Amino acid sequence: MSFPNADVHQFAAIGRLLAGIVHEINTPIGSIFSNNEVIARSLDMLDGLLAENTPESMEKARRVVGSCQSLAAVDRIACERIRSVIRGLKTISRVDSGEPRKVDLNEHLRDTLKLTQAEFRRRVAVETDFGELPEVECYPQMLNQVFLNLLVNAGQAIDGEGLITVRTRAEDDGVHITISDTGRGMTAEQQGKAFEAGYTTKAVGEGTGMGLAISREIIEEKHGGSIAFESAPGVGTTFHIRIPVRQTRSVGQ
Amino acid sequence: MTENGQNGYKPTVMIVDDEDMVITSVKAFLQLETDYEIRGFTDPEEAAAFAKDNVVDVAVSDYLMPKMNGIQLLSKVKETQPEASRVLLTGHADKQSAIQAINEVALFQYLEKPWDNAQLLLVVQSGAERAKLFRDLREKVEALDNANSSLKNVQKRLIQAFL
Repeated sequence: MSFPNADVHQFAAIGRLLAGIVHEINTPIGSIFSNNEVIARSLDMLDGLLAENTPESMEKARRVVGSCQSLAAVDRIACERIRSVIRGLKTISRVDSGEPRKVDLNEHLRDTLKLTQAEFRRRVAVETDFGELPEVECYPQMLNQVFLNLLVNAGQAIDGEGLITVRTRAEDDGVHITISDTGRGMTAEQQGKAFEAGYTTKAVGEGTGMGLAISREIIEEKHGGSIAFESAPGVGTTFHIRIPVRQTRSVGQ
Repeated sequence: MTENGQNGYKPTVMIVDDEDMVITSVKAFLQLETDYEIRGFTDPEEAAAFAKDNVVDVAVSDYLMPKMNGIQLLSKVKETQPEASRVLLTGHADKQSAIQAINEVALFQYLEKPWDNAQLLLVVQSGAERAKLFRDLREKVEALDNANSSLKNVQKRLIQAFL
């Protein structure tokens, strides 16, 4: 897997996320493989049963057809599952063109959440509370990276089971996005260093300490917005992102 | 098609996965290849309840499931069905935690998703055979115990008669 957007390479969490995605795709692929084999064998069997052409063989043939029909239905669900994961990956890997675009950020949050679901599905519940948003002029793929980074962080902050809440609201001349988790939270010292490039509390391979530094650069430098958080040890962390609806100044890359 | 045992015994295989599609696929495959009784469960608690009241020869379970993980379920099955062969069928992402947990309950086999049907069939068939052998063995041991205790009784009565 290669991500054309250089910034994404900085997010080590992507590795873990990919492991989750592999798992998410493995189950439907296992099903499709198995079903394909069973359907091929069933067709051979049907061939014989039709040739036999007795009331008993016809009765059995009907049962075989019924079982193939239910397998075909499963295959469809399995393919849809794979397609939705791939769609999420496409959203993340697309490169922004030089000019900002007007987009519905709720839609982008939804796509990004699809990706993290592979990892969170059975451990972390995700609640969304999306308000009506105006179209926001922005570099959507960069923002997706920020969302992904914050969501993966939130998931990693939760030991065992927990909840992540994503909320969006229109306000004044911009939008306000909050991503909260019921995770470990940060100590005062960690809070002071959270945005520092290279600072991490994660094990080697889990994080590079670049995620929040890059997220801040994307939100503040590229979009003229703001990113802040509140956190309490043992309670959780909430990130607030504010992005103006229009890019008034020239936002160079 | 697999032959039943000489006395027409029909082994029962339990498939537990919170994903419906896995159950449908595995069930369809095993029904085609064997004449075993195949029971599918998306809820591990229901599966545990089934194993409490019914003879189970092979229990195949996913690892990550809500309510109860596969190891917890299989150790429950071990209590109620000590002869059943227990198999974990799991995705790569759970591997580390699964292997750690496997050491806690003696497993018959560990299979990875996406699974290979031929391998799955082999595991289920040999698992069913193994369960049957264990059950036969236990019955023989019980029969031996009974014979032994009735022998002792006879001996006791004989001794009493002659003394």
